[in-house]
This record gives sequence, structure tokens and C-alpha cells, in this order.
Amino acid sequence: MFNLILQSLYSGLLSGGYFALIALGLALVFGTMKVINLAHGEMVLLAAYMAYVMESKLGLNPLMAIPLALVVACLVSVTVYFLVSRIGKNRELNSLILTFGIGIILTNAMLIVWSADIHSTAVAAFQEPVALGPLFSMKSELAFFGVSMALVGVLWWWLSRSWYGRALRAVSSNRDAAKLMGINPYRTEIVSFVVAGVLASVAGVALYCTNVIQPALGGSLTTKAFIITVLAGVGSIPGVLIGAVLIGVVEALTVTLFSSALQEFTSMALFLLVLFVLPNGLFGGARRRG
Amino acid sequence: MKLRILLPILVVLYGLVPFLFGGNNYIMSILVASLTIAGIALAWALLGNLGGMVSFGHAAFFGVGAYISALLTMKLGVPIFWAMLAGGVGSAIASIAILPALRLSGPYFALAILAYAHIFRVLATEFSGITGGAGGLLGIPVLPTVLGYSFSSKVGGYLVIITIIVIFAFIYDRIRNSYYGFALKAMHESEDATRVVGVHSTMLKAMMLFLSAFMTGVIGAFNSHYINFLEPDYAFNSGWTMLPVVAAIFGGYRTLTGPLVGAVVIYTVDQLFFKNYIPSGHQIILGALLGVMILFSPDGLMPLITKKLRWRRQVKASPSPSQETETI
Repeated sequence: MFNLILQSLYSGLLSGGYFALIALGLALVFGTMKVINLAHGEMVLLAAYMAYVMESKLGLNPLMAIPLALVVACLVSVTVYFLVSRIGKNRELNSLILTFGIGIILTNAMLIVWSADIHSTAVAAFQEPVALGPLFSMKSELAFFGVSMALVGVLWWWLSRSWYGRALRAVSSNRDAAKLMGINPYRTEIVSFVVAGVLASVAGVALYCTNVIQPALGGSLTTKAFIITVLAGVGSIPGVLIGAVLIGVVEALTVTLFSSALQEFTSMALFLLVLFVLPNGLFGGARRRG
Repeated sequence: MKLRILLPILVVLYGLVPFLFGGNNYIMSILVASLTIAGIALAWALLGNLGGMVSFGHAAFFGVGAYISALLTMKLGVPIFWAMLAGGVGSAIASIAILPALRLSGPYFALAILAYAHIFRVLATEFSGITGGAGGLLGIPVLPTVLGYSFSSKVGGYLVIITIIVIFAFIYDRIRNSYYGFALKAMHESEDATRVVGVHSTMLKAMMLFLSAFMTGVIGAFNSHYINFLEPDYAFNSGWTMLPVVAAIFGGYRTLTGPLVGAVVIYTVDQLFFKNYIPSGHQIILGALLGVMILFSPDGLMPLITKKLRWRRQVKASPSPSQETETI
């Protein structure tokens, strides 16, 4: 039993890697534009389907799909930006409904093109077991955990050190002041959407290589990403990372200890609990929401 | 609404529609289904317009009402109309769980309720001892016979749902024009300022949430007795959230008639046309419609139409319409 728990902790940790990528994309966009992109999960799923197309139609390794997924996800992301920025009044709520609509469009487009079937990778090399002491994982899980961590590291460096990263943080903390300092807020917002697209595309390929995909998955990916953002508290990369791992671990533990059907239930319950008890998130500052 | 307008509408709803289409089961079933959506859309719009909250979780209230009413009639033999009422009350009670989220503003509430809706589907699947689990409930009692008239037919179902909607619309209208309606309207402008003049804003929002949940629950209960079958994936289907949202936004969620007309139009067109051309994934058009409405006419179609009508009337009445339209 102890081994089982340890194993689910380990599996949860590994899946937390790409959860973090999805959540960071969502949080980044929310930070700069105060817009929650409800189509974010669908974007990730679209990238995953690019990997599926690459493998099943062209017979190539799904990893080769990353450039294609990058292009597609970034295009979708930037399109979302342009549509959202066209909203005149009451942007906070209307953007929610708009991106909800975009999510419906994407889900159904995927349904039309690829049907409701479940797909997963057939590349044997990805599924080879790797032992780490008593703990096991698939090769792809471990590899993508590494990739995700590296990407999170790069993102952290980019946000804290690079000019654009600082511009982004400036726009997110005070748009008008940033404008006075010579930052073009529009360009910065586009950049945040592009970066969200990049993160989503890697997360999508990771999703395809380690898991199964189907068109209906998008909504729950968005919810999961949002849960992680709330757990983390807005504006904290380590927080998002810990939140993602926490969700991964909680879900894995639920599957081990109770049943796989309750998997979604526990993370939702945890989410509502945190939202009610600690509305600023586990690692958020004292800033009041809303 | 004035009697002069109300009376003809009621005559059409209760007289003309059953008279014209009553013989055609296909049209009636589409009509009943579209009115089911219309009822949820009305409840959604009440929360959105008066409460100022966007909800992505109305499927939860729909499903809870449906299950409570179905179980009460099947296991305890409660009379159906009372059970439907109980379903509504049950949904309102279930909405207590989301009350703490009222402290959260805008997007946070919308997403909290999204997560909340997921929980109920899982619960309905897991507590299979009571709910029948994923296998669902079969043979839910049909709508009863009252005064010798059996409501179990398509026309009977139509009469029940239209009555429910008329009552709900009446309640909505009364609240909108009451003291509470004005207080809620003021809260849109500035919640803090409204609180300062002595309005208990959280309490009012909670009331709107209860009412919206109650209405959705009753509609869900009606639906379970109308189709006589329930399963978690059906009762808590995200379609029960999505269609009403599209309908309300399309018709105009700040109006009373908008969500109702929107739902009937959207559902009928979706079933008759979109579904034929794109069998799976026809909701893509609804998604596109939602996006287009938000971008080009966030107040919906009904205000657009009525504005045009009023404007025309004014052109005829007064020589200088430009000044008049300002005051509307």
C-alpha cells in the first residue's frame, strides 16, 4: 500500500509538469489582459491533435509536430487576442462568454475533423517503462516532465530578466503607467498570447504522448488550468508549479485510494475549498480579488 | 406588461399554437424541447441581468431538480407537480454550496460555478445506490391526469411547460419592477455605492441565485417527467448550460422576451437545419453565433428589433426623431 501511494505521488508529480505549462499560459494571459481564455484547453488539445495527425497521417514521430503545433496554437491564440480586444464594453464578462463560444467552435471543429474517437500514441519507445528505485513511469512521462521544467525555467528567466518579460509584468500591474514609460501595451498583450500559445503547443504534444485525447477533453483542461491558477494565486510561477503538482498528486491519489471516477471530484472540491477559505490562493499575496 | 399586449400573447400560446400544431407530434416535441431551453435561458438571464453574474453551471441546477423530482415520485410516490416543486427547492438548496463564491467578482464566480457543476455529475454517477448510477433511471412517472385531462401527451407537456414559463416570466417581471429590481440595477453601476445607501447586496445576489436555481430545477424536473428517463451524462450535460447561454445572449439577456424568443429560434433552427447538415459537431454554429453576438451586438437581437420599431414609431409621431431617441 505504501508503495502504491508513493507511486501515485510520483505519477502525480510527473503529470504536474504539463499541467503547469497549461496553467501558466492561462495565468499569463489573465495577468496582462484580465481575460480568462476559456478556449485555452481547446488550444492545447488542438496542438495534441497536430501530433496525432503527424503520427497517423504522415507516419512521423509525434515530436516532429511541435513546429506545426506551435504555428497552429499561436495562430489560434493571436486570433483569440484580436477578437477579445474588439470587445467594447464590459470586457471582463463578455470576454468570458466570447472565449466560451470559441471553445465550442474549436471542440466541434475537432469533432467534425477527427470524430469522437479516443486516440493515443502508438510509438513504443514512449511507453517503455523507466524505473527509478521502486517507482515506475513511462519514458515519455519522464522526458516531458523534464521538458516542462526546462520550459518553466526559461519562462521564469524571460519574465524576470528580459525586456519583454519586464514589459509584460509592467503592463499587468499598471497598464497606463506602463504606457507612459514607453511600452506598447498592445504589442505586449500579443506577446503574452503568443507565449501562451507556445506553452500550449508543447503541453499539447506532451498530452498526446503521455495520455489519451478526445475532442471533449478541452473543457476539463481549461478548468484544471484555472483551478491551478487559483490554487497558486495570480502572479507566482513557483505557485503555479506547486499548484500543478498538487493537482496532479491529488488526482493520482484519488485514483489509487478511491476510484478513477472521483478523480475530477477531488480536484474540484479542493478548488472550491481553496477559493472559499483562501481566496488569494495558497501562494498569492494579500491582494484582493476583483 | 400591459394587459392589451399580454392577452393576445396568452391566447396565441394557449389557443392558437396547440390548435395549429397539436396534431403534429414532431413539431410539438421540438416546441417542448425548445421551451425547456427557454425556461433555463430565462433563469440564466435573471441571474445575469438582475444579479450581474454569468453562470456556466446551470446544468447542475437542471440535473439536481430532475433527479430530486424523479426520485421523489419513484421511491416515495409523491404527486408529480409537488415533486417538481420540490425539485426546484432542492436545486435552490444545492445552490447554497456555491454561496461563498458570491464574494468573488465576475470571472471567478463564473468559473467557480463551472467547477461546481462538474461535482454534481460525479456525485450522481457515484451514488448509484440512490440515483441508479451511470445506468440511469428508467420509467420515471409521466405527467399526471388532472380533471380528466392527461398531461402525458405532447400537447399536455406543452401546456405544462408554457404555464411554468409564463409564471416564471411573471415573477421575473414583478421583481424587475420592484424595489429589489431597482436596487439590483443600481448594483450594476456601483456595488459599493449601493451598499453605502443601505442595500444588502450580497443578500440580494444570493436571492437571485436561489431563484434562478429554483427555476432551473423546476424545468429540469419537468423534463424528467416529460422524457421519463435520466442518466448523469444527460441530466448534467453541458448542453443544458451552453444552449441557454447562446439563446439568452442571442435574444438579449437584459430583456424578458429575449431569452425566450432566442431559445425557441436557436433550438428550432439547430434541430431542423444545422443538425441535418452537420450531424456531429453542429454546435460549432452556435459557438460562432455566440462569438458574433458578443462582438457585434452584446445586448442581443431583441433590443435591436424593439429599438428599430420604436424609432420608426417616433419618426411618424414627431418631426425631430433624433432628440426623441436620446431619451429612450
